[in-house]
Amino acid sequence: MLKTFSIGGIHPNDSKISAGCAIEVLPLPSKVYISVAQHLGAPANPVVAVGDKVKAGQVIAEPAGFISAYVHSSVSGTVKSIGPRKDLAGNNMTHIEIDVEGDEWADGIDLSDTLVTAIPEDNKEILDKIKMCGVVGLGGATFPAHVKLCPPPGKKADCLILNGAECEPYLTSDYRIMLERSKEIVVGAAIMKQVLGGCPAVIGIEENKPEAIKVMTAAVAELQASAKGYDGISVMPLKKKYPQGGEKQLIDAVMKRQVKSMGLPIDVGAVVQNVATSLAVYEAVQKNMPLVTNVLTVTGDCLPMENQHNYKFRIGMPLSYIAEHAGGIPEEAAKIISGGPMMGKAIANLDAATVKGSSSLLYLTAAQTVRGVESACIRCGKCAEACPMGLEPFLLQKYARNNMTDELEENAVQDCIECGCCLYSCPANIPLLDIIRIAKGDVIRIIRTRK
Amino acid sequence: MEKLLVSPSPHLHTKTSTKSLMRDVVIALLPAVVVSVLFYGWSELLVLGVSVASCVLLEYLITKYLLKGTCTIGDWSAVITGVLLALNLPATTPWWVVFIGAVFAIGVAKMTFGGLGQNLFNPAIAGRVFLLISFPTYMTDWTKPQGFIGNAVTDAYTGATPLGLVSEGGAGAVEGMDYMNMLFLNIGGSAGELSAVALLVGFVYLLARKVIRPYITLSIWATVAVFSGIFWLINPAEFTDPLFNLLTGGLLLGSIFMATDYVTSPMSNWGGVVFGVGIGLITMLIRYFGAYPEGVSFAILIMNSVVPLLNKWFHTKKYGR
Amino acid sequence: MTTTIIWTIAILTILGAALAIVLYFVAEKFKVEEDPRIDEVEAVLPGANCGGCGQAGCRAFAQFCVESSPNLDKCFCPVGGNDGMQKVAAVLGVEVAAKEPQVAVVRCNGSCENRPRTNEYGGYQSCRVKAALYSGDTGCSFGCLGCGDCVAACQFGAISMDPETGLPVVDEEKCTACGACVKACPKNIIELRNKGRRNMRVFVSCVNKDKGAAARKACKAACIGCGKCAKACPFEAITVENNLAYIDFTKCKLCKKCVAECPTGAIHAVNFPVVKPKVTEE
Repeated sequence: MLKTFSIGGIHPNDSKISAGCAIEVLPLPSKVYISVAQHLGAPANPVVAVGDKVKAGQVIAEPAGFISAYVHSSVSGTVKSIGPRKDLAGNNMTHIEIDVEGDEWADGIDLSDTLVTAIPEDNKEILDKIKMCGVVGLGGATFPAHVKLCPPPGKKADCLILNGAECEPYLTSDYRIMLERSKEIVVGAAIMKQVLGGCPAVIGIEENKPEAIKVMTAAVAELQASAKGYDGISVMPLKKKYPQGGEKQLIDAVMKRQVKSMGLPIDVGAVVQNVATSLAVYEAVQKNMPLVTNVLTVTGDCLPMENQHNYKFRIGMPLSYIAEHAGGIPEEAAKIISGGPMMGKAIANLDAATVKGSSSLLYLTAAQTVRGVESACIRCGKCAEACPMGLEPFLLQKYARNNMTDELEENAVQDCIECGCCLYSCPANIPLLDIIRIAKGDVIRIIRTRK
Repeated sequence: MEKLLVSPSPHLHTKTSTKSLMRDVVIALLPAVVVSVLFYGWSELLVLGVSVASCVLLEYLITKYLLKGTCTIGDWSAVITGVLLALNLPATTPWWVVFIGAVFAIGVAKMTFGGLGQNLFNPAIAGRVFLLISFPTYMTDWTKPQGFIGNAVTDAYTGATPLGLVSEGGAGAVEGMDYMNMLFLNIGGSAGELSAVALLVGFVYLLARKVIRPYITLSIWATVAVFSGIFWLINPAEFTDPLFNLLTGGLLLGSIFMATDYVTSPMSNWGGVVFGVGIGLITMLIRYFGAYPEGVSFAILIMNSVVPLLNKWFHTKKYGR
Repeated sequence: MTTTIIWTIAILTILGAALAIVLYFVAEKFKVEEDPRIDEVEAVLPGANCGGCGQAGCRAFAQFCVESSPNLDKCFCPVGGNDGMQKVAAVLGVEVAAKEPQVAVVRCNGSCENRPRTNEYGGYQSCRVKAALYSGDTGCSFGCLGCGDCVAACQFGAISMDPETGLPVVDEEKCTACGACVKACPKNIIELRNKGRRNMRVFVSCVNKDKGAAARKACKAACIGCGKCAKACPFEAITVENNLAYIDFTKCKLCKKCVAECPTGAIHAVNFPVVKPKVTEE
């Protein structure tokens, strides 16, 4: 019996259409626009001026606080402008515009393919490198990685969980890197495991990716046989269920522990990192390579097979450039999503630039995505059955519509992980999550001010 | 692609809709409907037709002209009420009595509360109980009209349901009754009580399609079986046995289709169990000690009224709490 | 028969009387001592319970007034207005200074015509939900989202959406300046402004802080922050900050010089008498 999380969950069609498409490297565009807010936390402060010559991998913005991250140039060229530009939601954010000239990398970056398996001994040096290379969590939240890898005093990590679940339908970027960069991911895991004090590391992969399970298991075995520091790493196949890749759900599935309300994973001894983050850690620590590239899936049911791609992109490439390169936007596409169809963001502005956490360009047709007309709640309880946090969305939305914050807090609206299971499963098309998300923000604000 | 569509996540939605759920319930009821029409013939068809047509028509008229809101007949819920009401009535019920039942079910029990999702009591049961109290003679006339099949087997028991016989003559009155017969083609009783197998097929279909969860139904059965089992073991001469109680008196119809009605049953699984136990207990108390031969309808109505409380007491198990 | 009736009446009468006595004593025992003036003040309040005064409701406001008496500077009931406050002051036997009557003003003129839609919103029709998600379905990330949160917030039915422009319209007769719409609007478009002499007002009907070119591209009626109005204003009532002009209603003398200067027509003058073109004498 495969492991999975214990409460709720749904089974949308997994639609991994682009799973068979090998990762291709996108050619450089003539301009990139690098946002200073590519991570959770305070936007970084630009440290270059208009007219400066920059090399790929050079720092162009510095963190503006503890929870913040370095931003590097992904190309070599001249800084054309620094100023507001619309992100994919249409909101203004400071972007650094760089005219691309050649492809020259900053000194000290190892661009070769050689696998470096020897792990540096000094943990401080490792953490510094992770921080200096601007590594953030690539599972969706883009939380600065070095912060997560430094447990607060008095807390100890019992297990490092690598998230290879990729439970979102359509996305295949993690799957492809698990197939193509398996050893690098395992090295990254070994590095993080060492930083966390040598706890075991578990790579959780959903059963619908048997190839990835096989390749990753083989990579772990090979590295354990050939190098030091790889003991205690294992691959754990998981049952297919959304949202397996949710941090709290993955901890429940792998460790049978549940994070308390408003608590952090480290409270139960867990640190969760995405497999793509592990790869970025490897690149940063072993190759001095800052996080300036990532893999993105271009997919959708309405996209012909030859236009399905998994691309390695440089951050700052406009989404429209990638869409154009992938063969244009299909006529039937009604909505374009960055990220998975369950938690990703609908793109309002295709001219927006890619960021560290960009993981897909997903085309959905009107038939797939347009919501039905809202009708009365029939109290079927399907939302409560689906909620992986065990909440009762039907109740929360009722309280939220009436601004009953006390009742909302009592019924744990602050625990909502916004996975979308409730809205997905509602037969009456009630905009449950739309309403609950706002209420959750309000309640969390109230809780914070109380402290 | 004209303009990009933007909305909050999630961007995918289940294909299950209120309409498809309700339609599934109607499909699950079909075996029972077919059996009853075959057995009771044209008069049953008339009851069914009048019941469904008047429920749908009334819902249409009320939503359109009285409430002046959106018309909700497209969601099939009125059809379910119609079919369930018909299956709860004797095949001999005159059409105008059926119509009055539909008026009460849709007009009073459903629409005065605000329509689908708001009603406290199951409309079909409310309609049925209203008729039972208002027109007892029509409602307990179990003469079997000419059907398409099974016209020969029934002569021995004409005019009474098995529970009715027990009520008058004690457990001995139904001694030697054939359980196989009850399982496939019961004799006497309302259309919905005819065939246990037809109802069970519907139950399996509902479970397979994930329309309902099994907790309510199973806890009703368990409670009825345990309760009657204890009394039967103590005094088999006076009290009927568990299997008899499970197969008669509309218990299957009530426990599978009416107690599990989304709107009028608790939302949580544990709430459902308590709800089911309550229905089972009240049913058996009425059957053994009450004036009416059977009590499923009353039991469901009584438990319907405590659903808001059960919803308040029983919540889902929350993560990390 | 007759005895039954007599008995019934007798028993019920005795029962009623007994219960009435019990009720009387219970009410006496649990009576809450309250300043009687609170009731008196509440009686002269409008009873809308809108919360526009900053208190939980009319009774809470009455209590607040009584507590802060004799200084009523912090108490103002926008619904009752100055007349209402005079009544409150009379009840409490104190003086209160008159406040300028105000009205809610919608500072966006991004109608469908002025501000073309660039995408289609398909989520829950709520400005808060929409604002939390993205910048909106037009190129302007500051303007009205058009889902009508202000309409829902107004207890007096003073705001309605104009189906033609997709913008909210305030009914000045009904508006009590309680400020509920101001709080409800996630984009801070609605502002309470002084009603002005004979209801005449001049204001900038735009909140776009983008640079001129970007603002103009998103909306034909946007304020582009050119500053012409500020130069034209003889009373220094207009300031331009972050590419956006703002008219201080306490300084504005309603001369309308700025209105003519504005190249995009973002400055609105309302309720001015229509100037008839002078007929040249022959």
